[in-house]
Amino acid sequence: MKKTKLGRNRERIETIVYPVMFGILIMVLWQTGLLHKLLHTDDYILPYPDKIINIITDNSDKIMVNVWASVEVALCGLLLGSVIGYLIAIIASAFPTYGAGGLTIVSAFNAIPIVALAPVIINWTKDVSTVAEERSMVAKILVVTVTSMAAMSVNAYRGLTELPQFSDDLMKTYAAGRLTEFVKLRLPNSLPYIFTALRVSVPGSVIGALVSEYFAEYIIGVGRQIRENILIAQYATAWAYIIVACLIGILMYVLLMIVEAIFLRKRR
Amino acid sequence: MKQTKKVLVIALALAMAAAAFGGCSSGSGSEASKEASSASSAQTEASGSEELTDGDRIIAAAKEGKVGNWGLGNEYEILALLTKYEQEPKYLSQSFDMDGFDDGSITLASAMTYNELGLVKNSYEGGYGYGENIGIIDMNNEGVAMLEDNLFCTKEFAKANPNTVKAFVYASMQGWKYACEHPDEAAQIVYEAGSSVSSDHQAYMASEVKKLVETDTKGAAVTEYGKMDEEAMQQTLDLAKKYISLDDKTAADKLQTLTLDDIRDTSFLSSEKDFGTPEKTDVKIQLKWLPQCQFMGYYVAKAKGYYDEVGLNVDIISGGGDIGETTAVNNGTVDFGVTWVSNLISADAGGMDLVEVAQVFQRSGLVLVYKK
Repeated sequence: MKKTKLGRNRERIETIVYPVMFGILIMVLWQTGLLHKLLHTDDYILPYPDKIINIITDNSDKIMVNVWASVEVALCGLLLGSVIGYLIAIIASAFPTYGAGGLTIVSAFNAIPIVALAPVIINWTKDVSTVAEERSMVAKILVVTVTSMAAMSVNAYRGLTELPQFSDDLMKTYAAGRLTEFVKLRLPNSLPYIFTALRVSVPGSVIGALVSEYFAEYIIGVGRQIRENILIAQYATAWAYIIVACLIGILMYVLLMIVEAIFLRKRR
Repeated sequence: MKQTKKVLVIALALAMAAAAFGGCSSGSGSEASKEASSASSAQTEASGSEELTDGDRIIAAAKEGKVGNWGLGNEYEILALLTKYEQEPKYLSQSFDMDGFDDGSITLASAMTYNELGLVKNSYEGGYGYGENIGIIDMNNEGVAMLEDNLFCTKEFAKANPNTVKAFVYASMQGWKYACEHPDEAAQIVYEAGSSVSSDHQAYMASEVKKLVETDTKGAAVTEYGKMDEEAMQQTLDLAKKYISLDDKTAADKLQTLTLDDIRDTSFLSSEKDFGTPEKTDVKIQLKWLPQCQFMGYYVAKAKGYYDEVGLNVDIISGGGDIGETTAVNNGTVDFGVTWVSNLISADAGGMDLVEVAQVFQRSGLVLVYKK
């Protein structure tokens, strides 16, 4: 028993150490310019890490303003999209005859590229508010909502319908009502599926937020800064924002992993 | 059906909740702008039936936060204009159509005389048909003009291939001369070369671009195609130093040290055919935007065989979307490029080594358009 525990610990350490080592290797290659040779690029398009880090530290205040703007959009959209997605799944599982078809339509939304969706939604939401900052915010949140809705509804539907046979049978032998069955069986059964959905939609929400900023009327956000700086040929600054965008995505994913570990602890 | 309706209702309700939430988070800012908008509407009422001056319009739109521009390096003249009228240098991000102007979410919209302005005015395909019901505020008249379309390459390329550069500039300017003398024919040539817009709009564009090429910022006629006017160039550089803000400290510092000699070289421009055999004969030019009469000189030079005459084989590569012409020239994908002087300045500040070899547009083509 002890041996397996030790083995598992070692495995855990390895899953952290190897990626970190790989990251360090990339950074070394990058800083020494070997990466540029490998990728056939110059230090203008791909500036050295120390320069990028300098820009991040020099502009930390301005960067944080943009980070919060993007994070706010990603989180609000994620929350809204996940809640709506879950509700759709509940409705679909309650009416299985139409449910599966309805879900196909929802997941079809997911196939629309964000770059096509964002301008349309921004046009729709023009009357939401006379203040550009507010209507842009609503538009961006709606883009993220649409993109994170599909993953949740499809996965939650599976969680709500693909029940263990014995549990289903047990409910039937107890002659449980639909509500009891829903609360005691379907809902808990869908929990792991919710996290499966979030694993897809959390990174997706960050991308959705960044891309929708490209088209928003009110100019703010990490995505917009990346585009602005690339177009005026400020690659080092653009990279600073790209690194920040990566950090947002990674941090949100790590947070999700922690929450998942807490919620699903008993199931392992 | 019922389910979809339900879902829609829920979605709407949640969206509204989100809207309210968004409103809360930006509470103080929105209140301030609401005050500002009521102040400006009061101002509009006060002036009543009297004709508003351009200054009044700019101040009113700025207070309401309804001045539009595309941003992405196109905004510096607008920032300078807003600063001139002591307004906060902020603008709304305008999309590449004029819908924001049409639906009133932008009251002072940016427009290029040769492109968006034509779409707003005219009623041909893609036009909004406002006719004479609009007015414009001209950056040249406001004294905040910055020069736009030029012709540039890297300093390295210019040094290594002086004859190629001279030949290319010479033949291109011949093309511009012919295009300005025969705008209708030029429009047809561009249209056939793979136009992105209708032939009507192309013809409009040719006639407007001709004005930018043959008139300077003060309205005087320019006969020398591609001339780099010292005063206009200096004004562009001065405004660039003031209004281009760069987060990269090295680049920001370098921007302030740039002089005209760093960004332009007048030695390649000549109306005489005084150059030797081109060092490089196959050259490419990267345009700033889609194929349209904004670049008619190059299309005409190619169609009329001017490039062949000087021994060059030229490939015209259109831009559009997020293609960075400065990047394409800097990394050697293409040899020449067309960009705005301000974009060349920020690229050089950022560490590129680009140099302008001809200035095609002699005045700013940017205007702010409003509904009368």
